[in-house]
Amino acid sequence: MITQEKYRTRVKELLANNSVKMVIGYKQGSTADRRRPLFVRSFEEADELVLDSNCIGNLAGYLVTEGLLSDEKRVGIFLRPEGIRSINILAAESQLNTEQIIIFGFDTSGREVKALQGEQAGDFSGLIDSLKEKPPEKSSDALLYRIDQMNTEERFAFWKDEFSRCIKCYACRQACPMCYCRRCIVDSNQPQWINTSSHTLGNFEWNIVRAFHLAGRCVGCGNCDRACPVNIPLRFINARMAQEVFESFDHYAGTSQTQEPVLASFNKDDSETFIL
Amino acid sequence: MTRILFSDKLDNCIARWRAAGLTVFGPVKTDTLSSYAAIEQASDFDFESVLPDRSIKDLFFPQTEPMLRYTIKKRAIETEDFTPPNGKRIIFGARPCDASGLAIDDSLFGWDYKDEYWIQRRNESVIVSIACTKADDFCLCSSLNLAPDSSTGSDVLLRPLENNNGWVVEELTDRGREAFLAIAELLQDGSDPIAPIADVPEKFDLDTCVAWLQNPENFESKFWKEISMRCIGCGSCTYLCPTCHCFDIQDEGDTYSGIRRKNWDSCSFALFTMHTSGHNPRATQSARWRQRIMHKFNYFPGTFSVNSCSGCGRCSRQCPVDMGITETLQKISTLQP
Amino acid sequence: MSEPFEPKIIAFVCTYCTYAGADLAGTSRLKYAPNVRIVRLPCTGRISPMFILKALQKGADGVLVSGCHPGDCHFTHGNYHARRRWMVFRSLLDFLGISPERVKFSWISAAEGGKFADLINSVTEDIRKLGPFDQYKELIKETETPATL
Repeated sequence: MITQEKYRTRVKELLANNSVKMVIGYKQGSTADRRRPLFVRSFEEADELVLDSNCIGNLAGYLVTEGLLSDEKRVGIFLRPEGIRSINILAAESQLNTEQIIIFGFDTSGREVKALQGEQAGDFSGLIDSLKEKPPEKSSDALLYRIDQMNTEERFAFWKDEFSRCIKCYACRQACPMCYCRRCIVDSNQPQWINTSSHTLGNFEWNIVRAFHLAGRCVGCGNCDRACPVNIPLRFINARMAQEVFESFDHYAGTSQTQEPVLASFNKDDSETFIL
Repeated sequence: MTRILFSDKLDNCIARWRAAGLTVFGPVKTDTLSSYAAIEQASDFDFESVLPDRSIKDLFFPQTEPMLRYTIKKRAIETEDFTPPNGKRIIFGARPCDASGLAIDDSLFGWDYKDEYWIQRRNESVIVSIACTKADDFCLCSSLNLAPDSSTGSDVLLRPLENNNGWVVEELTDRGREAFLAIAELLQDGSDPIAPIADVPEKFDLDTCVAWLQNPENFESKFWKEISMRCIGCGSCTYLCPTCHCFDIQDEGDTYSGIRRKNWDSCSFALFTMHTSGHNPRATQSARWRQRIMHKFNYFPGTFSVNSCSGCGRCSRQCPVDMGITETLQKISTLQP
Repeated sequence: MSEPFEPKIIAFVCTYCTYAGADLAGTSRLKYAPNVRIVRLPCTGRISPMFILKALQKGADGVLVSGCHPGDCHFTHGNYHARRRWMVFRSLLDFLGISPERVKFSWISAAEGGKFADLINSVTEDIRKLGPFDQYKELIKETETPATL
């Protein structure tokens, strides 16, 4: 509550002296524990801001909405550490200028909300470095454990079953702050690389392509997983990719705005044990 | 005196329906998702959930379906139609909102062009709905001139008994009567009290909303931009909707042969209206959301005299950013027409 | 009686090294398994994972990707980029249950005609042992679109 009040005041201050044109935050949603995105442009709207442990969605994707930042005015945004990492990646990929972004950083442990020190993306580098030190969790999730114990055929059968439910609504893509392509590969038809139809093969291909495109870029915010209306455990796939680039290339996505994208860079000594 | 189907007779009913050549479908719940699917025995049914995550549309209008096979030869193109799959079936335990959704789409798929796939599946299916005794925060049938015990679109309506051990049977159509003839001797006469239907508070005044939507001045209202700012443009609302029926036709294959498929499409997608030239008449997400609302409550009823929404609330229930028809219409109902 | 299984393998190769190596194998009259269909590309850096997926979509039982040895790339570092990409892609395929044994990678220079022939033979044998990629073919069958390989 204290953090919420502090941030409401700060948002009003920034609005009052025209330092930001808008602040993207959370407000009460349609049920007690739902929070929905809120675009604050007035004091009344600032009073609607809510900040608590239910504020889980990563809002960073809104920053790359077409035209939002093109007037070079500043925009404020409420972000968890993963969200701040998303901002760094977007900056590293030249999608935004971090100077235009005022960050209201927060993190939660249990029901407690604590504010993060700093307002510019660069201010959080210490925090993000410390997160990198804690290696990506080899999740204790029972389902992931089960997947890891499976042999190749069983894993294929498992994912086939999961992907057979996919309806290609592309909620995973749309909810993802990293999926900002103006034209997604699946929307391109010359050539048509993957099937657009939502049969299991098409679904398989779609999910492979998306996971690969996110390799080394996913920050694990969980937006895709939560958005999926048919509950495909997408988090595992992206987390596995994050783990792979961390172990193979010591890459932790979004440490800074000058970080080289892992699949657009190389090291002459990269491992090649698998190459014949 | 009413006719009652007791739950303990359900396995017998399933056996009889099967013997009569019907495949039995119903609401089914797995660890990951609930949907309407084929069932083997009574214990497969999920009557506890408020409603399945996925709508009944899946059984009549699948997300992807082959229409024809083509082969391009030197002097001709050969095509071979896929006939709609046949097989009689009974869908036991449909929710009234889902059944109403089917009735809504009947008007479209049976309109100027008769959609043979839809019509054949409809003709071969018996819809047995169960009146809802439970609702959640997102249900909105009562705001759409429907109710938890609406019989629209159903062939038989069942009303749960107060003791939760059976249903009072109301046969509504010949198709329903025929299906229940097969189990006639399993029904009992009785006067057990029925459970009260779910309380679904009215969330907005539909007439006020429709009046606002019909006013041409409101087409360019700032309201649309405000309400849809947080829409991320995914298609989950349209894909889970029992009445959204837009589809795209795609060819899959290579230069000389392939399959033409009918795939779901969504007005939420930027590509939905994109022209080859690159021009997009619905260039913004707000225009797309406006289209969805206008279509459901203004254009569709203009043609078919029925709203294209049956109030299941799935759009709001699973929206990643907590939007939906309810919120939009609630806000519209407070605006000056 | 059903015919013995002959694997269908698609090889994506770079034009400067592996393709030249294949050419050398041919001009040297080396005999190797006929199961591989070669697709020539400018550089391994141009070989998108999309190509691999497309090959599988069309019914390939195995895929081979091959290019210049590290340091030999005509474009100086296309193969270094490719190497990282494959590393990650292999791990993804493995996690999703597509055996990495079906997607092979190699470095073959323009001088290694013999290595090319040997590799094609050994890859063909490996894939033959794995058998047809039935799990994927079931998915293809379900689409009603014939696998045209």
